[in-house]
Parts: sequence; structure tokens; C-alpha cells
Amino acid sequence: MTDVPMLEELERMKQEYEPLLPVERQLIWGTFATGVVLLVLFLLISRALA
Amino acid sequence: MASLPEVETPRAREVVTEKKRPAVGEDWLAVWIGLFVFILSLALLFGTDLLGWTITTSVWTHPSHALVPATKVYAKLSPGFSLVATYLFLLAILLVAAKALGGNLKRFAQGFTVVFALSYACWFLGSWAYIAATPDKRAGLKIGWSLSLTNESGFIIALIAGLLIGNFFPRVAGFLKEAIRPELYIKTAIVILGGFLGIAALEQRQLATSIILRGICAIIEAYLIYWPIVYFVSRRYFGFSREWAVPLASGISICGVAAAIATGGAIRARPVVPIMVSSLVVVFAVIELMVLPFAAQHYLAGQPLVAAAWMGLAVKTDGAAVASGAITDSLIRAKAAASGIVFQPGWILGVSTTVKVFIDIFIGVWAFLLAWIWSTKIERREGDRVRVAEVWQRFPKFILGYVATFLIVLAVGVAIPSLVPKIKASMAQANVFRAIFFLMTFFAIGVMSNFRRLWQEGFAKLAAVYVLCLFGYIIWVGLFISWLFFHGVLPPVVKG
Repeated sequence: MTDVPMLEELERMKQEYEPLLPVERQLIWGTFATGVVLLVLFLLISRALA
Repeated sequence: MASLPEVETPRAREVVTEKKRPAVGEDWLAVWIGLFVFILSLALLFGTDLLGWTITTSVWTHPSHALVPATKVYAKLSPGFSLVATYLFLLAILLVAAKALGGNLKRFAQGFTVVFALSYACWFLGSWAYIAATPDKRAGLKIGWSLSLTNESGFIIALIAGLLIGNFFPRVAGFLKEAIRPELYIKTAIVILGGFLGIAALEQRQLATSIILRGICAIIEAYLIYWPIVYFVSRRYFGFSREWAVPLASGISICGVAAAIATGGAIRARPVVPIMVSSLVVVFAVIELMVLPFAAQHYLAGQPLVAAAWMGLAVKTDGAAVASGAITDSLIRAKAAASGIVFQPGWILGVSTTVKVFIDIFIGVWAFLLAWIWSTKIERREGDRVRVAEVWQRFPKFILGYVATFLIVLAVGVAIPSLVPKIKASMAQANVFRAIFFLMTFFAIGVMSNFRRLWQEGFAKLAAVYVLCLFGYIIWVGLFISWLFFHGVLPPVVKG
């Protein structure tokens, strides 16, 4: 069942390109921004406790 | 035209053969095997030495001095007997595991015999003084030079032996297939490692607390900093569909095989997609394992815990990450020993493992979140419901074993401080098995890694995303954040 033609897969992806949806953009940049904010917060906490 | 080859990871097998799903998964088996060894070792607290007969290997200049039983109580046992007894003990336990997993017991026993024999031979070779001895030990061993790789160089030799078999002797690899279970081996080792790290935490409570706090940051880094960027790059610049981009981003960012499969399932990708990504993850994890610990020794010897966190954050798959931590631990301690600083063993490995374990914990939550977003916002289908129970289903259960052994050791040590020396001796015994499981993990990872797949037609585009994101982004961001959080934090130094 795992014998899938890889080149066909890639060709299909090229022809049926799925543009990034707004919800995907929100997911990408929302999580990234949250991650940066949380990291800065943890860094401050970590320095304060050190 | 190239076809997608089958990937032989145990996780992958679980996905492909839904009908044959065993009643007990590898995670739970790892918990029970690890706890079994842990409990047997704790018999020392009650004055009974149940595991002292197991074989250990010291750094040797003459082969006859290499192998000895673990404790002096069994000093009269011949090393050969001790070695065979260790093999039979492990075979018996793992046959029960193989039975529970629905494996072919005869083939498992045959394969395991070869895996154990070759792995242990690599350990033996890696303990040769000219390879293993650190500079401070050379005078005692009466040798003028050595590679200073410590006896954990046996891990690297086992990996190379496995790679040779996996890539040049496919028939042998096929014969061993039933016993090539790196995830079972490494997870069992991690459960045992919990107790060993519990001892370290008992001795350095403040440092241990600080490491756990910093471990939490690893979760943020993997899920919120790595994942979105890798997903964006694979979608926007490489044109991958969502079905491919999600497992790919998870495989590269979080924890290789497990994350690719869990998130692939969450968005209802065809099983072949995460499996394909998994094969890539395994191959690249081996490359990282061969390169990053040596880079860390060269550039980060003065910042051992930065190097440790880096391994946990940058190297994918549990086996390769923890294995990289073990090699980095030995390499950096060897380099420090050459300049007269003797760090306590296990701290670098402990940080790498803690970081990796923290990342693993959230795979289920992340898969759940993606499943919810996909079913409600991206691919809405009638009747789609995401169950909270799936978080538990996807939770890596072996972590419970790791936490249990860690907490038991910590709790007993805090409650009865007079028992700490005995707990330490117990964990030293259990640690013998941890080392053997590590060895077999390295060997098995090598056997599973088929580098020829990388050259297959059509595979290059997938590999290109991996190379770009891993070597152009993840490794450097991982290093930067590890530096921010662990800069200046050093493992305890052995006094005297």
C-alpha cells in the first residue's frame, strides 16, 4: 500500500497548487508571534530566578 | 519512475498495519521493561543484590581485563557466564515484549541474538584504551596516547556497524528486521535513565529545578518557533500540499517519526505521507548524530549545557536525540578532563533527555489542535468531531515511566537521606542495562537508515525542504536559544 509514485505526487501538487488560506496564515504567524513573546517571558523569568 | 519505499520504523508499522495493531504498544512495553529493571535494582535497598551479575565493560588495554560482573558480590563469576546471563535475561524480557507486539518469536530471538552480539562487540571495541581513555587516565593505563572518546565511542561504532549492514548487506538487515526496534530500546533506556537522573537531581536540586524550567522553553521553541516557519517554507516556497506540509513540518520541528505520524493522522493525511516523511527523518537524524556532537565538542566545550540543550532541540527522533546527548556528554567531559576539569557524568545527557521529553509530551496536544483547526476551519466535513481522548491516545506513554522512576528516586532520597548511597548503587546497576539498550538503539538506527533512498528520483524535493529548514534554520535557532537559556550554567564538578 505504500508503493505510491513519488514523481506523480509532486506533479499533482504542482498542478493542483493549494494557496495558503487566511486561516493558515493566521496559524503560522499567530503561533510564531506567541512563541517569541513566550520565549522572552520565560527568559526574563529564568534570569530573575537565577 | 521512483516509488515510495516502505519505511520500517515500528511507528510506521503501527500506522500501516492498523488491522494488526497489538493490544499493548511499544510505549507501554518500554514502561514495564524499564520499571522491571528499575525495581530489581532497588532490591539493593533491602540488602539483596539481584542484578550484580550483569556484565559491565571497563576501559581495557588487554581484552581479559575488559569484562567484569557489575558488583563485587558476583566477582567470582566468569565474565563469559556474566555476559551470557545478561544476554539471556534481556532475551527473555524482550521475547515477552515481542509476543505482546505480535512479532515472530523465532525470528525475533535469532535477530536479537545477532543485534546483542554485534552491539556488545562494538561496546567492547569502543572500550579499548587507545580509543576510550581520557588524558587523565592514560598514565594509570600505561599508554602514551588515546583518542579520548571514552568508552561511549562504542555507541558510534555500533551506529557505523548498523549503517554498514543497513546499506550494504540488505539480506542481513532483513534477517535482523524483527529485532530492529530502536524505539522500544530507547524508550526503555529513557525509563531507566529517569532513576539515574533522579540521583543527579537529589545531589544538585537547585540546578535540576533550573533545568526543568528551561526544558519548558523547549516546548515553545519546537511547536511555536520551528513548526510555523517550516510549514510556511514548505507550503509557500516548495509548493507542498497541506497533506504533505503538516507531517513534514512536524517531522522536522518536533520529534521526527512520532510527530509526523500523529499530526499526519490528525489532518487525515494518507498513511503513506507521514511514513515517507519518517524515512527522511530517520536518515537525517543519523547525519545529525554523526556531526553535531563533534561540532558541540569543538565549539561548545566551555558551555556543556548549551551543547546538551542543543542536541535535544536540534536532533530529531528520541533515539538519535538522546544518543547525541550521550555522545556529547562523553566527548565534552573528555575534553574538559584534558584541561583538568572533571564534570560529573550524566548532566549533559540529562539535559538533552529532559528537553526531548518535554517536547514529546505535547505531541498529542499539538495533533489535537491541528485536528480541530483542520476539521473546523480548513477541511470541514460532515460528522467530523475531534475527541479530547485523542490527546491521551497520542500521548507518548513511556514518559510516564521516566517521570515515575525520576520521582521515586527523588522522593525516597528526600524522605530518607541515609538511603541515598544505596539508591546510587541501585541506579548504577540499572544503568548497566540503560547502556546496553542505548547500544542496541544505535545499532538499530544504523540498520534502519537506508541512505540510498535519498538519491531516489523525486525524493530530492522532500529532502531539500528538510535540508534547508534543518540546517538553515532549526540548528541555528536551537543553538541561539540554548545559548540564551543555558549560557554560563555548568554541570557540577567532581571534587578530589
